Amino acid sequence: MKTRYNFPGILVIVIGILCFSCEDFVELDPPNSQVVAEVVFESDELADAAVEGIFHRLYQLTGFASGGIYSVTMLGGLSADEFDLHNTIAYTDLPDFYQNEISIANRANLNVWSSGYNIIYMTNAVLEGLNSSSGVTAETKRQLEGEVRFLRAFTYFYLVNLFGDVPLITQTNYQDNALTIRVSKDKIYELIIEDLEKAKGLLDVEYPTMERTRPNSLAASSLLARVNLYLEKWEEAEKLATEVISAADLYNLSENLSDVFLVNSREAIWQIASAGSSYTFEGNTFILISANSFLNPVILSNLLLDTFEENDARFDQWVGRFDDETDSLYYAYKYKIRFLSGAEPPVEYSIGLRLAEQYLIRAEARGKQGNITGALHDLNTIRNRAGLEDISGITDQELMDAIMKERRIEFFAEWGHRWLDLKRTNRADTVISLAKPGWQSTNTLYPIPEQELERNPNLTQNEGY
Amino acid sequence: MKNNSYTGKNMCRHAFFMGMILVFLPVFATVSPPIFNLQQQITGIVTDAEGLPLPGVNILIKGRGEGTFSDMNGAWAIRTSKGDTLVFSYIGFKTIEEAVGEQTAINIALMENVTSLEGVELNAGYYTVKERERTGNIAKVSAEEIELQPVVNPLQALQGRMAGVSIVQSSSVPGSAATIQIRGQNSLRPEGNLPLYVVDGVPINSSAITSGGILALGGIDPLNTINLSNIESIEVLKDADATSIYGSRGANGVVLITTKKGKSGKTTLNINMYSGAGKMSNTLKMLNTGQYLEMRGEAYTNDGVMPTETNAPDLLLWDQHRYTDWQEELLGGSAFITDIQASVSGGNANTSFTLGGAYHKEGVIFPGDFGYQKITGNFNLNHTSSNEKFRVNFSTNYGVDKNKLFNRSLFVRDVIVLPPNAPALYNERGELNWEGSTWVNPLGYLRKTLDVKSNNIVTNMVLRYRLFPGLELKTNLGYTNLYGEQVTKNPKSSNDPDIQTTNTSQQLNTKRRSWIVEPQLVFSQKIGGGHLETVIGGTFQKSSSGRLLISGEGYPDESMIGNLSAAENQSVLLQEDIDYAYTAVFGRIGYNFRKKYFINLTGRRDGSSRFGPNKRFANFGAIGGAWIFSKEPFVVNHLSFLSFGKLRGSYGTTGSDQIADYGYYDAYEPTVAGGLYPTQLANPDYSWEVNRKLEGAVELGFARDRILFSASWYRNRSSNQLIGYALPAMTGFTSIQANLPATVQNTGWELELMTHNIQSSGFNWKTSLNITYPKNRLVEFPGIEQSSYANTYHVGASLRSAILYQSVGVNPETGLYEVLDANEDGRFDFNDRTVIKDLGRQYFGGINNSISYKNIGLEFFVEFVKQQGRNQLSMFGTPGRLMENRPLEVMERWQQEGDMAGIQRFSQSATGNTAYTRAASSDLAIGDASFIRLKTLSLSYQIPPAYITRAGLNACKVYIHAQNLFTMTNYPGLDPQYPGNIQGMPALRTITGGVRLTF
Repeated sequence: MKTRYNFPGILVIVIGILCFSCEDFVELDPPNSQVVAEVVFESDELADAAVEGIFHRLYQLTGFASGGIYSVTMLGGLSADEFDLHNTIAYTDLPDFYQNEISIANRANLNVWSSGYNIIYMTNAVLEGLNSSSGVTAETKRQLEGEVRFLRAFTYFYLVNLFGDVPLITQTNYQDNALTIRVSKDKIYELIIEDLEKAKGLLDVEYPTMERTRPNSLAASSLLARVNLYLEKWEEAEKLATEVISAADLYNLSENLSDVFLVNSREAIWQIASAGSSYTFEGNTFILISANSFLNPVILSNLLLDTFEENDARFDQWVGRFDDETDSLYYAYKYKIRFLSGAEPPVEYSIGLRLAEQYLIRAEARGKQGNITGALHDLNTIRNRAGLEDISGITDQELMDAIMKERRIEFFAEWGHRWLDLKRTNRADTVISLAKPGWQSTNTLYPIPEQELERNPNLTQNEGY
Repeated sequence: MKNNSYTGKNMCRHAFFMGMILVFLPVFATVSPPIFNLQQQITGIVTDAEGLPLPGVNILIKGRGEGTFSDMNGAWAIRTSKGDTLVFSYIGFKTIEEAVGEQTAINIALMENVTSLEGVELNAGYYTVKERERTGNIAKVSAEEIELQPVVNPLQALQGRMAGVSIVQSSSVPGSAATIQIRGQNSLRPEGNLPLYVVDGVPINSSAITSGGILALGGIDPLNTINLSNIESIEVLKDADATSIYGSRGANGVVLITTKKGKSGKTTLNINMYSGAGKMSNTLKMLNTGQYLEMRGEAYTNDGVMPTETNAPDLLLWDQHRYTDWQEELLGGSAFITDIQASVSGGNANTSFTLGGAYHKEGVIFPGDFGYQKITGNFNLNHTSSNEKFRVNFSTNYGVDKNKLFNRSLFVRDVIVLPPNAPALYNERGELNWEGSTWVNPLGYLRKTLDVKSNNIVTNMVLRYRLFPGLELKTNLGYTNLYGEQVTKNPKSSNDPDIQTTNTSQQLNTKRRSWIVEPQLVFSQKIGGGHLETVIGGTFQKSSSGRLLISGEGYPDESMIGNLSAAENQSVLLQEDIDYAYTAVFGRIGYNFRKKYFINLTGRRDGSSRFGPNKRFANFGAIGGAWIFSKEPFVVNHLSFLSFGKLRGSYGTTGSDQIADYGYYDAYEPTVAGGLYPTQLANPDYSWEVNRKLEGAVELGFARDRILFSASWYRNRSSNQLIGYALPAMTGFTSIQANLPATVQNTGWELELMTHNIQSSGFNWKTSLNITYPKNRLVEFPGIEQSSYANTYHVGASLRSAILYQSVGVNPETGLYEVLDANEDGRFDFNDRTVIKDLGRQYFGGINNSISYKNIGLEFFVEFVKQQGRNQLSMFGTPGRLMENRPLEVMERWQQEGDMAGIQRFSQSATGNTAYTRAASSDLAIGDASFIRLKTLSLSYQIPPAYITRAGLNACKVYIHAQNLFTMTNYPGLDPQYPGNIQGMPALRTITGGVRLTF
């Protein structure tokens, strides 16, 4: 150890290090897995990606819009009379819905709620981002704003129909949002209509991408037609439905029933892409694998099966049958692909809005306005497509019953149409109490999830829970 | 402090005066000096090795029973005769005898006695401190207590051994992480309570490595790859005095792991081997086939529903007479353990080294080819230059481990609830039996393998250079790199063939890398009659961690699973690269005055990248003091039974930055299929949690330290709570990172007692006991009513409280559980949850006994915990509802109107389930979960040298060691250390035998 050490030198280095500006040392760039919000709204590409992302989350969240286990399709179908329970060992939250006795702690119920508000947050964040952005071109801004307004309206539509009065959240500040109270359904509908009207104005008729997974202006019109129907504004509903139906260069009823749910189907007004996968959750959940697989929580109910008329092509094309040793089990088979490796291109997409609904919206709206001929024309268009005879010479009430029956058949296992139809036409009590002995009128609304009540003391519970 | 020292001084003077009188009175009274033996006055000064005066040293004239004490300045005077021998003795110092000759003055420097208790040095991180002189609370466990335990991770070996430190092993699957909590839960976030781990000066990320399958419950412990037998000591720093120097990372305490250092002298070789086996320490008594079918059948009958083949194949399709004890079948195996360690150490006065290696293999209780293996290597080198100015210490610890398990987190639960008449596992063709898709064959899960491999290096170098006497420049350099690979394989054959699936795999790669540089100046000097030690230093640390999760699907053949290039489709599910930068300036000033009065000031200024630009820096500091009053003459004179007495106290602040990185960014991440989406709510303004710690303690020694007792009282108040503040989902997310104006208080008493019960040449018996009475309380939470915690926490109650319904038992008419509708609004919601039960530990501790008789050693350690926990009501669901077995107690159910039963009627309905679920959230679901566990028992025999020297051996010890031999508890679940769940694998009862050889 003969080495000479340079003490002052070492000291200078040490003190130098200690005095080194620490501020810089702990300054880090964001990680490579993230893009900071301000950057997102500085370019058209990233802003577009942020909107694309929300549409992907509709599928990926496995929430209200997924079409699978915890979706409106499943829960609405169970609450109404579309499904019977099959094997619920793996999905113990589902029987509550079938029995119309939903625990406030039910996770499926919370999932519908939280996935809905998660989508709403994202739409609000994009609206705020676009609003304060200087880097996104006006053209892109217009289109993106239209898209997210459509999606926000779509989401609120299900929240208000499932839960009744719900919190109205239109911005991202969590401190305010966390304590928001529930507002009346009318207020929610006001926002839905405002969003859809704006979206309709902002969007083009052309779809923004090659697929129909991002909405055009007619998607906004379609949803607006439905909203007006629910609000019994017959004239507007008819007008909007007509607007969509007459866009024949874009939309036709598929002649072949097995084509309806394909990717870019001519009947699809708006589809939800299976982002990251190649199959739909509807196909994955409903198609029976074996006589008793725990992956299949539901089968079609006898009540539904009995409603099909003789020779209805929809029974052949959209209902699947699994023959057991003892009897036959029937399942929803609108989507034919249960599973497809992610390596394959997707064949089907879950349909959010389709043309057939517009015909039946217009039929109902026309009927309500006394235009029986026009109503029958629309109704029979749908019936004929399914290989059924025309209906003619019926009373107003018979017409309405026929439309409701047609809706029940046409839209079974899709988006809880049956559940919402029974509720909006005030027939839930009479119809469901026949099917479910424990039915109570307050069961038309789902409970506000317990976790939400715990975390927001300003929320109230629905009657009956 | 000023006040204290003033009164102290007065007392000293008084005592000294008294002492002098007492000493001299007998001298005058009894001595009638013979004429030839001339008395002479001898004076002198006693100091320590550094020349500081030692007051209170006992000076005796050998064989005459006369004596005196040194005064405040170390001065003493006594009358003796020529030829006498003076004996100087003082606690903690070697006794010296000095013959009286012609001299009239004898100045003596006493050397510290390093072998006795007071010589024990503790690692305080940036400095060391003597056990007897510490001002802070530092607990230490040394190698002997842990090295024989057949466990994978070092913390597991500490259970019950340290006061104030609770360690829970939620699952005993090898490799699974233990949860350590030092002095209770400080943060409202359960994951924000991890202490800081420092291995040889290198901070190690203490959060468990996320895993899946059977390891999902606890995650993987980041300390697994440290060789247990290479640990010299583990110190736990608890109070402000000890932890403030760690600033923002000290709030939850600090665990310092020191590995073995080379020892100079003859080169020695140590070999230690053991092997043995473990079994599950507990099984549950479940229904047999008859009872089970009765339960299921009755559930349908009670509800007036006919079972169908779909919902009740167990009743309609399966063999009604078949019975399998599934716990025996699938959890009844033996886990074989083998461990071999070898190390060589040696060196000369300037250079010493140790080189070691170890292999550990541990099986599991599950059927199949599973198990854990690790290989570790370590090297340590110490060098001092010949002029003793330059010193370097280099150490490196490298470990590789491999864990073969399976991808099912709930396997233990699956097995327990499997119906006793469930079908055979295999069909006649020897394939997995799926019984027409009516069940999930549990062996299917075991075919989904989970392979975890990791390697970890922790390396450290400390360079010291003495610039001037008393001034040293020191630099601590550290590097750690952990890399883990987990591959989960889900072959088609693990699933029911009726289910259309493909071969899939998931690969998770984890890396954690960190370097640290800590330049320091260490100054040590005698100043003003005392001794000053100071450290000033800086820390620069950068860590990066990353995770990459890739899934592959569509492998053409099962043998190819895991080879991503063979997969039809690969997708990257997660790629995360996180950087963390941390910098600090810290300092310590320690001053002791005459080895009696100690004061210690520590402080740190910290900066962390985890906070937004305005909140990056914060200051922390503490003051600690101690007074060894047993060195005061009045104690020495009047309280001679007291061999040691110390009072100490400390107060200071520490912080916690244990939150996710980058949380302050409002950021978007890509979805799996392209597009971006926001993954969290952003808050740029959150800052550190602050933990103010106060401690007072007394340490006493009696009967020449044969009895040592210490009691510490602490109060830690953690405020500015930094949490993932739970939000209603209507905000879009369920939480936000924010500081909450809440204060959590942990107070407690820690008592330690060490007794040397029997001390003789052949027989020795020592007992040590530690016991902790912790109390956790949410002190304040302004605005809790308006916050999302309104119904999770209660001001005034422990954070570990369960807020529950009041049970009213089973309604004799309906046969269903009922709970009280406290506000009588006809609804059952959180407003009716009025019962608060503290599920935290009421007290806990351990008793260790070590007995040696000649060459035989017996050691047994008992851990005890007093607590309440969730019982089987919340561990299991509604009896009869699902195709799941239930514990035997359910047979005491309600059967007909008027029955007064403890268990509700069997039911498969939603109504029955709702009633049950409410009861499971009521006080009925809470019960005693205390336990007393014989944690370790070991018996060893040291073979007498006569038999072994011929073989070249210096020492040879054979031993048997038992772990978790028995547990006394009323808890009805599997393992009371983690009550309320049946997911985790309970502690294993392990017996091993081994031999240790020293050459």
